[in-house]
Amino acid sequence: MSKIRVEGLKYRYPDMDKLVLDNLNFEVEKGAFIGIIGENTAGKSTLCYALTGLVPNFFKGAYGGTILIDDLDEISDVTRKVGLVFDQPFSQMTGSKTTVYEEIAFGLENSGVEREEMRIRIDESLRLMDIEHLQNKNPYDLSGGQMQRVAIASVLAMKPDVIVLDEPTSQLDPKGSDEVFQVITKLAKSGITIIMAEHKLEKLAEYASKILLLHKGKQIAFGSPEEVFSRDDILEYGIAPPVYTRIAKAVKPKTQAGFYPVTMKDLMQQWNVGDK
Amino acid sequence: MEPIHLYTQRKSWISQIDPLSKLLFAFVSIFMTYLFSSITITCFVLLISIVLLMVARVLKKIVPLLAISFTLLLSIIIVQGLTHPTNETPLLTIGSIVFYQEGLTFAFLITLRVFNMLAAFGVLILTTKPDDLMESLMKQGMSPKISYVFLSVFQLIPQMRATLGKITDAQRSRGMETEGSLMIRIKAFFPLIGPVVLSSLNMTKERAIALEVRGFSSKGKKTFLIEEKSYFYPKFIKCVLVTLLIAAIVWRIVG
Repeated sequence: MSKIRVEGLKYRYPDMDKLVLDNLNFEVEKGAFIGIIGENTAGKSTLCYALTGLVPNFFKGAYGGTILIDDLDEISDVTRKVGLVFDQPFSQMTGSKTTVYEEIAFGLENSGVEREEMRIRIDESLRLMDIEHLQNKNPYDLSGGQMQRVAIASVLAMKPDVIVLDEPTSQLDPKGSDEVFQVITKLAKSGITIIMAEHKLEKLAEYASKILLLHKGKQIAFGSPEEVFSRDDILEYGIAPPVYTRIAKAVKPKTQAGFYPVTMKDLMQQWNVGDK
Repeated sequence: MEPIHLYTQRKSWISQIDPLSKLLFAFVSIFMTYLFSSITITCFVLLISIVLLMVARVLKKIVPLLAISFTLLLSIIIVQGLTHPTNETPLLTIGSIVFYQEGLTFAFLITLRVFNMLAAFGVLILTTKPDDLMESLMKQGMSPKISYVFLSVFQLIPQMRATLGKITDAQRSRGMETEGSLMIRIKAFFPLIGPVVLSSLNMTKERAIALEVRGFSSKGKKTFLIEEKSYFYPKFIKCVLVTLLIAAIVWRIVG
């Protein structure tokens, strides 16, 4: 699995005056689950594009700094290692395939993977995403949550070391969101590095190992969910911390480590009422 | 969710014909209607496409496309009927407006040609899996990008139809009237068409990125999940079509 190092990353879209990403510096350990948070226009999506090499190769503009994945900075090497999942499941379907099985094969066909190997990888992705029962269905007959799982399976079949997800649950209902979070957690546990831009902070607090807080393209904080959500100035950056943190802030002082709880489990532990 | 392709799965021998043969049929059929500027021949060629659509059990699918194109063709019929340079014989008078036989005949020929174009491509698009068409083109050496652009042209209609449905519902929920008299529909058209076009462009951009991250521009050799398919007499059909085309050209030159 890959280690990611971002050093002095700066980017400005063509015909724009302001930097969308302004001097970002952080390091992601192999197999970590990183949540990217920030209000709209904070630069979350652009950072996702940069991590996958789409910035500056697909989106041109002024680019500075480096993104090193396992110390590789060649873009072809980077894109081979990183997969990307978007917010809109509908737009991620190729439109040319008529079954889920064929849809997942698309990236493998482009990469020249042999047929036998292709079938092994597709079956594995279907199993990991728990969508084996959907393999003969038309992708457009699926619900948003199922379609998003197909999109993740398509990326997964490419065997990336890192999966970047740009608000993958924003278009989904609560059931669909839960489905996606469950599979992403499963992937993180299997050792794949997950980087996810998301607005559902309760979920990120529960699953992410670290949180990157962005504001107007600048890196405000990078640390554990407890550390980031316990910041007294977090509201100034347009972020309302998870509900458990807000309750804890209103009722009790910080923990010994100097942070507030961010999940129900942490909150119960702090209040000594068990985890039932 | 509606698929963004027009392919309709039906059991018929038309579906078993090689996509390239169907593509060749579409081109030969269109070429014929221009080679012979004759209403009779154009009608005959159109009839062949209609029979094929009937055999493939997808004729119903082409009717809305013909109806939409006819509304656009109406302007051509009016303009040609009134102003075609060879206009001599008055055929229809509405108040002070006179429609001429020559112009209307010419407009009728154009209408038939457009209908034939739609029907011939309908045979290809409605009876061919989009992936099979793309694969066939790529196996002939066409670049994946051009093959996909070719396919995307046929995806435009269902994609925009799906987007239009969503945006119409959204605008209706905000109190906009979208049904009723012609004036109401015209008023509703502009607030709908802007978001439809912008949304379609945005979706196209996102799809382009999604394809890109799945190695679409990869320069290496591509492989295919499905083994080579066996089609219904591909060489024979292509030979017949090419022979017909050559015969038609020779007949046109000599005759």
